[in-house]
Amino acid sequence: MLNYDIVVVGGGGAGMRAALEASQNNDLQVAVISKTFPTRSHTGAAQGGINAALGFRDETDSVEKHFRDTVKGSDFLGDQDAIEFFASNMPECVLELEYFGVPFSRDEKGRIAQRPFGGASSPRTCYSADKTGHVILHTLYEQCLKNGVKFLNEWFLLELVVEDKKLQGLVAMDIRSGEIHPINARAVVIATGGFGRIYWSRTTNAFNMTGDGTAACFEAGIPIKDPEFVQFHPTGLAGTGVLLSEACRGEGGYLINKNGERFMSRYAPEKMELGPRDLVSRAIETEIKEGRGFGQGINAYIHLDLRHLGKKKILQRLPQVRQLAIEFEGVDPIEEPVPIRPSCHYMMGGIHVSDYRTSSTPIEGIHAAGECACVSVHGANRLGGNSLADVILFGKFAGIGARESARDRSFSSGARVQKAAEKWMKHFNTMREKTRGNDVIAIRNKMAETMWNNVGIFRTESEMAEALDTINQLLEDYKDCYIGVSDKKYNMAFINYVEIGNLLKLAKAVAMGAINRKESRGSHSRADYPKRDDQNFLRHTMITKEEDEYKLDYLPVKITKYQPEERRY
Amino acid sequence: MEKVIYRIKRFDGTKEWYQEYEFPYEKGKTILWGLIKIKEEIDPSLCFTSACRSAICGSCGVRVNGNAVLACKTSLDKMLETYKTNKLILEPLNNFKVIRDLVVDWEQKFERMKEVKPWLIPSKNSDKTKGFKQSEKQFNMIANPTDCILCGCCISECGQLSINREGFLEPFIFSKSYRFTVESRDEAPGEHLEPALENGLWKCIRCMQCVTKCPKGVRPAEHINGLRKESMKMGHRDNKGARHAYAFHDDIQKTGRLNEMTLPIKTEGLVSTMGRIPFALRLLKKGKIKPFNMPKPVNGIEQVRTIYRLAQNQKEER
Repeated sequence: MLNYDIVVVGGGGAGMRAALEASQNNDLQVAVISKTFPTRSHTGAAQGGINAALGFRDETDSVEKHFRDTVKGSDFLGDQDAIEFFASNMPECVLELEYFGVPFSRDEKGRIAQRPFGGASSPRTCYSADKTGHVILHTLYEQCLKNGVKFLNEWFLLELVVEDKKLQGLVAMDIRSGEIHPINARAVVIATGGFGRIYWSRTTNAFNMTGDGTAACFEAGIPIKDPEFVQFHPTGLAGTGVLLSEACRGEGGYLINKNGERFMSRYAPEKMELGPRDLVSRAIETEIKEGRGFGQGINAYIHLDLRHLGKKKILQRLPQVRQLAIEFEGVDPIEEPVPIRPSCHYMMGGIHVSDYRTSSTPIEGIHAAGECACVSVHGANRLGGNSLADVILFGKFAGIGARESARDRSFSSGARVQKAAEKWMKHFNTMREKTRGNDVIAIRNKMAETMWNNVGIFRTESEMAEALDTINQLLEDYKDCYIGVSDKKYNMAFINYVEIGNLLKLAKAVAMGAINRKESRGSHSRADYPKRDDQNFLRHTMITKEEDEYKLDYLPVKITKYQPEERRY
Repeated sequence: MEKVIYRIKRFDGTKEWYQEYEFPYEKGKTILWGLIKIKEEIDPSLCFTSACRSAICGSCGVRVNGNAVLACKTSLDKMLETYKTNKLILEPLNNFKVIRDLVVDWEQKFERMKEVKPWLIPSKNSDKTKGFKQSEKQFNMIANPTDCILCGCCISECGQLSINREGFLEPFIFSKSYRFTVESRDEAPGEHLEPALENGLWKCIRCMQCVTKCPKGVRPAEHINGLRKESMKMGHRDNKGARHAYAFHDDIQKTGRLNEMTLPIKTEGLVSTMGRIPFALRLLKKGKIKPFNMPKPVNGIEQVRTIYRLAQNQKEER
């Protein structure tokens, strides 16, 4: 049986940052398992930047302001002790990245350049043109190579094995050989990213953002916190949902309806296009609903106009945005406005983190960081530039936490892990041999359709109840699936089947959290409860899975400094 | 057009074959869209890799009609129009070990990448908590090579790598080497450059396929050129490549013309050149070389030398 002191699951920003920290002194055996090569991870798709109150561009910026902006951005659902910790540690984390070699864009004094971003009271988003995530991801990979971090690439997490609320190990498949391995581990860091693919094609997420780690934690008894908070990014390309960075608005882009109005003046008269994402997404959808968009129905859109920025600025600051618009929408932003529409972008909710200083979960030995985790720093709405920040900072502290866990804990006997692996081997064989059953792709498409139509940007009780019924039915259908491929080696059909199972479990948690939150807060916007209700809902949703039963509970929000007030921009 | 056909090179770990898939044409789609359609609707056993579908993760490099592309950003319409056909041939990238169908093995490439130490070696007196200063100009030096997404298109199309897989680094690795060699925050440029020098730096044949095929506009051939210059600046002048470059430089300065008789001697040395005598005799027989023709300075040689002087007076800027 494989034995590692620490296993990091996920090779993106949070996973690699954790691995770097965990493997620092070469005194522990650390392995990263990743279902793709690390540089393929979705951190690379983050474009706009990473927030840190360095105060380079605006001397009046401070940790305090970053703290306050994030609390306000979260619609007061973020835990303030964690947010303060986050804002305070970010400057150091970004300077560390600089030391690792991240090629940041520069200001006139040669320091890291910063730009304005939505919901921020000072320009504090550090960037590298519009490919910040890409350069951070590749730099972390370089550092991992330098430190000799062990990667098990194209390995897929199947299960976290837990006994008496304590980690025993995990089960993973080596996709290439088709072998299923039991792995003994003292500590695990889950860093598997979000699960925006519950909306399948209406998302900026990569195909493989299926919440495998989140689902495994959910199965292992860890609550999913605040799953109903789903961020819709205002500027997805209309045709494909591909992301255009918030830097478009940060650099001064306009949002225009079919009457030629900068309609944001109605929704955020002060901040205009630089309002936070939840507000801007709703504004766009409202324009479309009220007939001021271009086109009809699912194909409707509004315009993002960058032309006034001029060719030079677009080429220098937004080169990738321009290429994406040309390649995926057939429009050159230097010449024409770009058709855009909100697209599912980010999951504020996720694996319940019970101690932000070590990214620990309620299960001893399991840590979680990045989009898969919910600390909660982002609360009901994440600010742009705070996700790369989250990934880097909590990735680092998850690495520190995992070191502590590995030091304090001993290896299990491995019996349970072995048994779990055998169960999966049997299941894999059954699925390979099956010759009939329900179509996995059809299940996936039905899930996405009902989630987009009924648990999307605007929500109501009856629609969400319908979605929950549908998901429950799909979960039943899923039990008798047919994958169509009998190969042992590189059986991606089996992997995709497990991924869709993970999405279904999480989609149900999203729908359930959303139905029960009878208020509008941040990204969760209900037509039947249009007001925020601090009396009843200034608390975190906690959903736990016991066999097929989902249980709902709540957890108070930590308020240290800023009392909830109306959120205006 | 009603139907599109993908003829796909398949591999199951032991045997290879081509398989044709036919599906209804739709306007405005990508190569990747077709692959997904086949996998979801016709044959779930087809393997390929893709993730972000927005040209940043580098997963979906494949060859279409013999040219490496990123499947997600390559327009199906444009391909069909370019080749005036409704049938496209899809194969895995060249110069890689194939795992399954269109999936290739990157492990060895990353192993080789380590040779150039593709990571920042910050100076001893720099401080982790203070950051560095870097001018916009210095940043611009590293902006292009850091656009690389490790998609492998340059590897697939490299003219030198196709015949010399051991003695030449993959083009993107030269880009990595160049980036850290010219990186203002790095204190050991030689450690990134020397492995490149030892692994074929002067062997690039300048076919420029790495530049024209790169889906992100990265220019490995230019980085190779840059590395050559840097290597000479660092004093690595006593090798065939550098001597060859100096021979050109000196001849043109002297006469405005290349002296083809002395060029091999200057590049390879007298002894090695002797070995080429049979080849030289064959060339002589066909009238391809004139051994006693010592070029005289061309008309206007002074103007050529003026260009040299101007170039030499240009301060090297970093």
